[in-house]
Amino acid sequence: MPGVAIRGVGLNSALGLDAQSCVEALLAAGGAPMPLTLQGLAEPVQAGYFRIPDGADLFDPQRFARLLPAVVQAAAADARLSAAELRALPVYVGSSCFSVGRSESDYAAALAAGSPAAYPMPHCGYGGLADLARRALGSAGEVFSYNTACTSSANALLGAMRALESGRHRHALVIGAELANRTTLAGFAGLQLLAQRARPFEAEREGIVLGEAIGAVLLAAEPGADALCLHGGADNCDTHSITTANPDGESVLAVSQQALRRAGLEAAQVRGIKAHGTASPSSDLAEAAGLRKLFAKLPPLSVLKPHIGHTLGACGVVELILYASALQRGLLPAWAGFGAPDPELGLAPLTRPVPALAGHYLLNHFGFGGNNAVLVLEKRA
Amino acid sequence: MTRVTSVAEVFHPLQDGAPLPPLATELKQVCREHFRRVDRFIELALLGSGRCAAGHTLAPDCGLYLGSGLGTMTSIIQSQEQLLRERELPTPFNFINTLGNSAGYYVAKNLGLTGQNLFISRRGASLPAALTAAWLDLELDVVRQALVGVVEEATLPLLEHRRRQGLPAGTAVAEGSHWLLLEKDAGAGRSFGLQHLADPTQYATALETARREGAAISPSLPDGPFHDSWSGAWLTQRLQQGGLVSLTEGDEVRGWDLFHFGA
Repeated sequence: MPGVAIRGVGLNSALGLDAQSCVEALLAAGGAPMPLTLQGLAEPVQAGYFRIPDGADLFDPQRFARLLPAVVQAAAADARLSAAELRALPVYVGSSCFSVGRSESDYAAALAAGSPAAYPMPHCGYGGLADLARRALGSAGEVFSYNTACTSSANALLGAMRALESGRHRHALVIGAELANRTTLAGFAGLQLLAQRARPFEAEREGIVLGEAIGAVLLAAEPGADALCLHGGADNCDTHSITTANPDGESVLAVSQQALRRAGLEAAQVRGIKAHGTASPSSDLAEAAGLRKLFAKLPPLSVLKPHIGHTLGACGVVELILYASALQRGLLPAWAGFGAPDPELGLAPLTRPVPALAGHYLLNHFGFGGNNAVLVLEKRA
Repeated sequence: MTRVTSVAEVFHPLQDGAPLPPLATELKQVCREHFRRVDRFIELALLGSGRCAAGHTLAPDCGLYLGSGLGTMTSIIQSQEQLLRERELPTPFNFINTLGNSAGYYVAKNLGLTGQNLFISRRGASLPAALTAAWLDLELDVVRQALVGVVEEATLPLLEHRRRQGLPAGTAVAEGSHWLLLEKDAGAGRSFGLQHLADPTQYATALETARREGAAISPSLPDGPFHDSWSGAWLTQRLQQGGLVSLTEGDEVRGWDLFHFGA
């Protein structure tokens, strides 16, 4: 399979307001969470949080409308599509929460006004983000919105790649988007999964630090001289638990092997791994077990969540952009703050950037609902 | 050739003031265990998929493609009530069930599936979106079996349910769970094919050809409240009868696809 080319990217994350500044910050000092207190509850929620530095109120329901258009326009501009190509451009969106924040705000406002007609979820459906993207680009292409928890935009990428491979499209825009909302913060607090610091694979890891990001990649069929190509991947479902993969690592191993097989690769050919690395005790355990089973000698491992937080359904696209952009600059990203490794896991991420060789890389994503997704990325010589 | 080897559904047109039909007794007939922490959306998915899979051997790597325009409503409504009206944290199972793929998790657990498990939405055209994804995966040999469903849940009161969707008062509403089992190289069953047209002109020509051949053609959006519950019901009910059937996807927003089902 020749793969599909990455022709354009756009990104907002805690590291910056465009893809270039995000990757430069990643490869320099990286990012850090801010302390967040979620008010309005009988007992306020306190946690770390990685926010986009746009200066707006964190829960402002208009943030998607302000931020998303510029992100998708940046991706489209990189790819230099014609007006006709933009008009036909299909839009694939992956998100955990879509625009639930807008419903929250409107319902909260109606309650605060004492309206007897207030009802929860005054807006519903998953189409709002795709509408924003289509309007920003003048696209009339078809829409696929994926909602598979933390694998949402990884699955959107897989869907778009298959449609490109089949000849259904020549180009596709894939968006991963997640902005702060109260339901998610309170929901993760209720699950007792939130922490102040993101410390994946450390012995003292305590849980997840959430983050927000909007990323967009413009994919093209039939790569030419493109430096970065995606070679598909795989996803599967682990029914061990609705909140975590089986700690024996078998489903992680299975999905990784399937991704490699479809790309025509052996594990020994993998040059590096972008780990999922949420810092949740059980998720890291499952990922580490799967990786140890897959590799006789583990390739260099990068973790990105200590820099941008866990961006949930957006992480497939957002972490692809960061990792691929680092590869393009010839480096594998690292996390200098990594502390004491967990001896039970038997692995440790890179703590300083190292040269990125030409070859194939795996990108891992695991989510609630038993969803596992692995993508294969190639950096060409 | 890909064939449809099973079709099943749950379909409840709803009336204002009437309760939602109970599901517990029927769920027992299709579930291998009692799933306690599930909402109505998940129950509808379990019931429809369980009926579709009954009597068929599903390989563990059978792909699961669940479409829905609205997704789970009860759990997200309850979560927002808990959070914003009662000022409490959402209960863990309410929060987890707000995710679209929670239903797919329970369907996979019930049917012993470990393969691809997707939740895909395209407003009122989520059935065609899920069918398209399944078709591509079958054509590319990503999967050899695909369990494709569309589930729409209604919540009471229907007055609010309509408002959430921007539907005029009195619009007919329904809940439903409509499923097809698609298998590559199966020995029997209706043939299934997707015709992706380049533009409206080619689409109109293909539609006219299907009509001349005697296919039952699905209504399109301008004909009425033709969202996923109704399109799912239209399709699964036609497939359980004889004759050619074509499901249309014919406007700019919904793409230019025709889904053909042989006699």
